Amino acid sequence: MSDIELQAISKSYGDLQAVDDVDLSVRDGELLCLLGPSGCGKSTTMRMISGLETPTSGEVYIGGENVTGQAAYDRDTSMVFQDWALFPYKTVLENVAFGLKMRGDGSEERTERAGEMLKRVHMDGFEESNPTDLSGGQKQRVALARSLAVDPDVLLLDEPLSNLDKRLREEMEIELKDIHEEFDKTFVHVTHNQDEAFTLADRIGIMNDGRLVQVGTPTEVYRNPTNRFVEEFLGDTNFIAGEVAGVDDGYGRLSTEFGATIRLPAFDAVSPGARLTVSLRPEFMRIQRPDETNNSEATTARADGAGGDTMTGTVTNTIYRGSRIRYVVDVGGEQLFVEQSVTDQTGIEEGEGVELGWTTDDILVFSPDGSRVRGR
Amino acid sequence: MSVETPDTIVDRLWAPFEAQSGSKRSLLLMSPLILFELLVFVVPFVILVRISVSEQAQSLPYAEGTLTLASYVEVLQSGLLQGIIVYSFKLGVIATVITVLLATFYAYATWRADGLRKSALLFSVVLPLLTTLVIKTYAWVPLLAPSGTANNLLLAVGLLGSPIQVVPNTLGVVVGQVYIVFPYAMLAIYSVLSTVEWELVEAARDLGAGRVRSFFEVVLPEIMPGITVATIISFAWSVGAYSAPALLGAGSDRPFALEVQEQMLLNFNWPVATALSTIMLVLMFVSIVCIYAVLGRFGGDISNAT
Repeated sequence: MSDIELQAISKSYGDLQAVDDVDLSVRDGELLCLLGPSGCGKSTTMRMISGLETPTSGEVYIGGENVTGQAAYDRDTSMVFQDWALFPYKTVLENVAFGLKMRGDGSEERTERAGEMLKRVHMDGFEESNPTDLSGGQKQRVALARSLAVDPDVLLLDEPLSNLDKRLREEMEIELKDIHEEFDKTFVHVTHNQDEAFTLADRIGIMNDGRLVQVGTPTEVYRNPTNRFVEEFLGDTNFIAGEVAGVDDGYGRLSTEFGATIRLPAFDAVSPGARLTVSLRPEFMRIQRPDETNNSEATTARADGAGGDTMTGTVTNTIYRGSRIRYVVDVGGEQLFVEQSVTDQTGIEEGEGVELGWTTDDILVFSPDGSRVRGR
Repeated sequence: MSVETPDTIVDRLWAPFEAQSGSKRSLLLMSPLILFELLVFVVPFVILVRISVSEQAQSLPYAEGTLTLASYVEVLQSGLLQGIIVYSFKLGVIATVITVLLATFYAYATWRADGLRKSALLFSVVLPLLTTLVIKTYAWVPLLAPSGTANNLLLAVGLLGSPIQVVPNTLGVVVGQVYIVFPYAMLAIYSVLSTVEWELVEAARDLGAGRVRSFFEVVLPEIMPGITVATIISFAWSVGAYSAPALLGAGSDRPFALEVQEQMLLNFNWPVATALSTIMLVLMFVSIVCIYAVLGRFGGDISNAT
């Protein structure tokens, strides 16, 4: 068993509170991504799992054993560093065999095992190379092999893909996922890149300001964020602030500052006069010419009766983003953006009047302090 | 330097260099240095070697215009002078080993310290360099003398039964010499150490290497260029030591620098003094080549040392 249990761990450097009272359990064999902006404490949290940092308070359990006081070299964890930290005066093979040498394995045994690991990460043939001669992607693979070679209970990855270009990063993401399945270890992966977290993670832990904000599967955190920070951090969205103007058949009406009215999802806590912010993800919105409205199924109400909602505006900008097109739409002076797949070509151009449509249930509602207001 | 404005002084000075290419240009740029080296090193050295192969004279420093190897034979055959050469090298080796060990520890501590502590450690190293050599060497006398501070303190707390003769003594010479070369050795090691990534040590520890093991496996190979430079500085200086043996040594502490001084200024025997100097220079050169070869093998790239 190699589950990880962090109990109320905090780390402060002088006045700086890097990690603040984090409780987290990572299940055995799980790949958990710690996601957050830089300086949010995700790396420090991981370093406390590795033993490279000691918590100011709180406890760390690995496989049920309290390891809080154990040094990094006594823990069965292994870390892949952001800059890979390959030993420059050792060959690639010596790098990979290093952990085995420290463990006291014989020369023949460790050469064989290190060779196997290099083969697994497709770096066979580079045994005698100097790490400084390798490319970023190759260093990445060697660092991974070095950590896997010691057969750790827990593999920790500290933004190891952040120095790679996009294509290589995506390739390595798939490979990491394969390796995770093959080796069946507990992985903790730190990243500030949402796409990376969504691709890799079984569960994502989102951190901000030293605190763990939410832990859940990618779908959970994306569709059901606990607060405005998570909603904002996980992807572009339109935040629209307004005041509850009234309630019709259980649905609140939000009167926005730019004059539009938005139907709110059904929930109890609605009272006229309350200030709220709604989030409308660009990919949950549809864009169409007003005359197409009637023959499009887009605005027909859903079976559950939550209903659709629309708004009219003018396209001020279209941005081509490869597989998607982003439209910037001016609605009463407010700039909203909508995204569509290029395959849904509508031919809408700048300056055209359009209608935006969405399903009320896709709206998320937040109170002014950023906390989520949940539906009924 | 552009073609459009050829009138500035820089342009006019640069023009002759611009016209040259490749190695010729670099040779031209180096010419002031080469000239300087010729004047202050090569020419005096040639004069020194010339004197060493002159005959000794009664009333003059040396007999001009004569040619003989007699002085070399004398130096190599004299038991006294052989003893002096051996003493110089012994002092060089002992002082170097102690200095480099201490300097490595000190540099490591400075590397790992931060804030005020780091500044204090660095400042303490640089501070002695602000005082003249003679004064800071002589300062050891009241400290280490039989009735000095250190002995009195140790006698008072009962750690010593009777005072130890550190000064004037060989021990005092070693202490003084280490003290003189320590800042240079430490700074040479520190300059390389400060470029080492701490992450490498963390990676080593993470993979199961203890504190000592991770130093030898990861840090030492990286700082070998600095250690090599520190070793050469300490060794060359300590073999040629003058002030520490002169001020802190007993009568038996006679390194070659003192002997050369005595031969030149008291005995007026310049051929022997210069022959001894030339022999020491050759021995030192061979030693330094050996140090380079041996230490360079343990890892690191000497060319990184600067």
